Amino acid sequence: MTDPPRTSLGNSVRNTDGSKGIRGPRRKALSERRARAFWTHSRKESIAAFLFILPDSIGLLIFVAVPMLLSLSLGFFSVDGFGGYKFVGLANYNRMFHDVLFLKSLWVTILYVLILVPGLYVSGLGLALLVRQKIPFIGVWRSLFFMPYVVSLVVIGLIWQVMLIDRIGFINQMLELVHLPSRSWLGDPSLALGAILFVTIWFLMGYYMIIFLSGLQEIPREYYEAARIDGASAWAMFTKITLPLLQPTSFFVLLVSTVSAVSGSQAFDLVYVMTKGGPANSTALAVFYIYQQAFQFNNYGYAAAMASSLVIVLMAITIALFMATRGGRFHLT
Amino acid sequence: MAEIKLENSSSDQWSDAAGGITRRELLKKGGKVAAVAAVSSVFSPFYIHSARAATKTLSFWQFYAPGSGEGDTQSKWFVDCVAAWNATHDVKVQLQYVPNQEYMNGSKLQTAFASGQGPDIFIISPGDFLRYYNGGVLVDLTPYMEEEAKKDFFPNVMETRIVDDKIYGLPMEVEPMAMYYSVKAFQEAGLSEADIPKTWDEYLGIAKKLTKGNRFGCLFETIPGYYQTFTWYPFMWQGGSDIATQDGKKSAFNSAGTVQALKFWQETIKQNLAPRNFLGGGGGDIVANLGSGLCAMQNCGIWGISALRQNAKDFQYGVFPLPIPPNGVPKSILGGWAFVANAKGPSPEESAKFCVWALGSMHEDSIQRIVDWCIKSKSDVSPRKSALDKAAAQGGYDSGPMKLFKDVIAPTGRGEPRVPPEVYKAVSDAIQASQLSGADPQQTAEEASQRIDGFLAGYTGAPLR
Repeated sequence: MTDPPRTSLGNSVRNTDGSKGIRGPRRKALSERRARAFWTHSRKESIAAFLFILPDSIGLLIFVAVPMLLSLSLGFFSVDGFGGYKFVGLANYNRMFHDVLFLKSLWVTILYVLILVPGLYVSGLGLALLVRQKIPFIGVWRSLFFMPYVVSLVVIGLIWQVMLIDRIGFINQMLELVHLPSRSWLGDPSLALGAILFVTIWFLMGYYMIIFLSGLQEIPREYYEAARIDGASAWAMFTKITLPLLQPTSFFVLLVSTVSAVSGSQAFDLVYVMTKGGPANSTALAVFYIYQQAFQFNNYGYAAAMASSLVIVLMAITIALFMATRGGRFHLT
Repeated sequence: MAEIKLENSSSDQWSDAAGGITRRELLKKGGKVAAVAAVSSVFSPFYIHSARAATKTLSFWQFYAPGSGEGDTQSKWFVDCVAAWNATHDVKVQLQYVPNQEYMNGSKLQTAFASGQGPDIFIISPGDFLRYYNGGVLVDLTPYMEEEAKKDFFPNVMETRIVDDKIYGLPMEVEPMAMYYSVKAFQEAGLSEADIPKTWDEYLGIAKKLTKGNRFGCLFETIPGYYQTFTWYPFMWQGGSDIATQDGKKSAFNSAGTVQALKFWQETIKQNLAPRNFLGGGGGDIVANLGSGLCAMQNCGIWGISALRQNAKDFQYGVFPLPIPPNGVPKSILGGWAFVANAKGPSPEESAKFCVWALGSMHEDSIQRIVDWCIKSKSDVSPRKSALDKAAAQGGYDSGPMKLFKDVIAPTGRGEPRVPPEVYKAVSDAIQASQLSGADPQQTAEEASQRIDGFLAGYTGAPLR
């Protein structure tokens, strides 16, 4: 911003009482002129913009920045949750590297992210392509696919827990109908994470379907018509038109699903309801282990150190994604 | 904190009025206020306000919700208890219900204490005793109790609630573990009471016979956590093993008794005799599992009697003591919840007085309250001799499973261990790995033992029991 233009009148005019400066109507006129000069269009626009983002900024400051500071600072203390504080420096951070359970939970998280992100991408895009077709009751289909997303995750977890139960669960009963052996989907360490992933994808795919659908609708139909005239196959149209033009949407989906997978925003509820991190820690994601350390073991400082580290990893992933794609503007890379 | 005066605030001149502040000053001071608020809010969640003003209403958190059937009679007991206190005392008690899952495995209680807003009175099991005791939030109830009342509680029940001869919790119940079986499943398999297993080998054999179609022969808890370790301890004790040495300073977990107990539970899964997951609220939910026919035998506590009485009246079942290993000794575990008072609450003295008045006085009402809980509202063994005698005189243990629990199972019981969460997590991981991953029990016992030793080396809290 630039200062309003200054006038020399204030220094040169002498009033009748001998004092310097401007009085009366002249002064008023000068103030108005100054005000007009100050409230330029661009300045007004800037102030309006700041005012628009102010509520959100205050919210972010109070509910995100301050808790992040809290988490970061608590990581340097031993905090027992009953008022006991002790500065321990980097001990909590050092402990993480020797904590077998934390390292295992990181491995579980990596597996979870590596399967969930592509799973959501493929299922979301697949559904979007499906419900873009001209089929009867298309609105109903779209609603049905989206419906799980509006239900509470706790309810989803409880329903699937019953459906996946050993032998008598709906899924196992269906398997038996087609003469396949029933499995303990939530009780077998080799299957439990897969079951959680399946439910998570089932829950979220409708949401990503909507995102992809909006991206698909942005692609001009003329491109497909031209390709069809040129004799392009459906696969060629998908790979040469759809995927390239969906890049910004794909970037958004990959970024959001990665962040939500690492932070466990959906997984935590499902793990808490369906497996409690078991069997044998096979579904104990990093966020669940952090929760255990904080609320079951009362190691708030250690939990905060782990949470801070996870946030740093998450930020690194996000920055790397942004840098690699120039913020999703793939055509500029 | 600096007081900010905003004179002439109606004018568009922010600055010039004498005694007012400039815009720059306002921003500076505002920034300071915001910074102070931010910093204090950063640390306040973990600051206990020890100088909270005494209150006229005490909060009492527990997980017995009003509802239908069993829940209603149990909830009513709490309501009646509080109503009786409120009718005769100036300082009132207000009940607050916290859902069971949230109470036991959730964060509500923990976050409340972390922010200095813990309840005045709450209930805990021995499995969680050390967390709260070591946190310094439990009131010593001893000064408020009569000598006679102290001696009235059974020593094996109180052992895990006492530190340095001071009582920190008053149990309302004793809950031994046993095996329940479905009479119908036994009959269908051509079995009778004479076939009730006494040893682990016999148990596996009978479970095999009972496993048919969609029905499992037996059921043990599989969900990780302190309830699972609670149900597993007696099998370890039967072989003469323990978590830690007598002085509680070294791990004793890596021993033959531990390994054989891990192996026993592992076999039930390996041989497909027990489910890996189940219906309802988990392994302690007898109505949803044994009652529904998912399993034919279930490892459950004495609370199963009232649960079946209220929710599956026509279900025919029997109870037998936990089977034992070769050369083993009969052992059960005595669970149960206790009233405790918050030492860092605004009125610890009044809270302690309530706990003692409710469960720990020699007054007739106090004794009858325990009787009502143990034989009417719920199904438990009384933690007090006077109440046990009275409940027996009122016919509470005359026959059937209640008599078996009181006369045969409870006398073989040992109080639920009090161990820090890090220790039961190590035990839980050993159980989970051997039971559900098929890991070598010897190896899992060794690993758990190392973890326990590692933790105990730096542990400075109250002794493990």
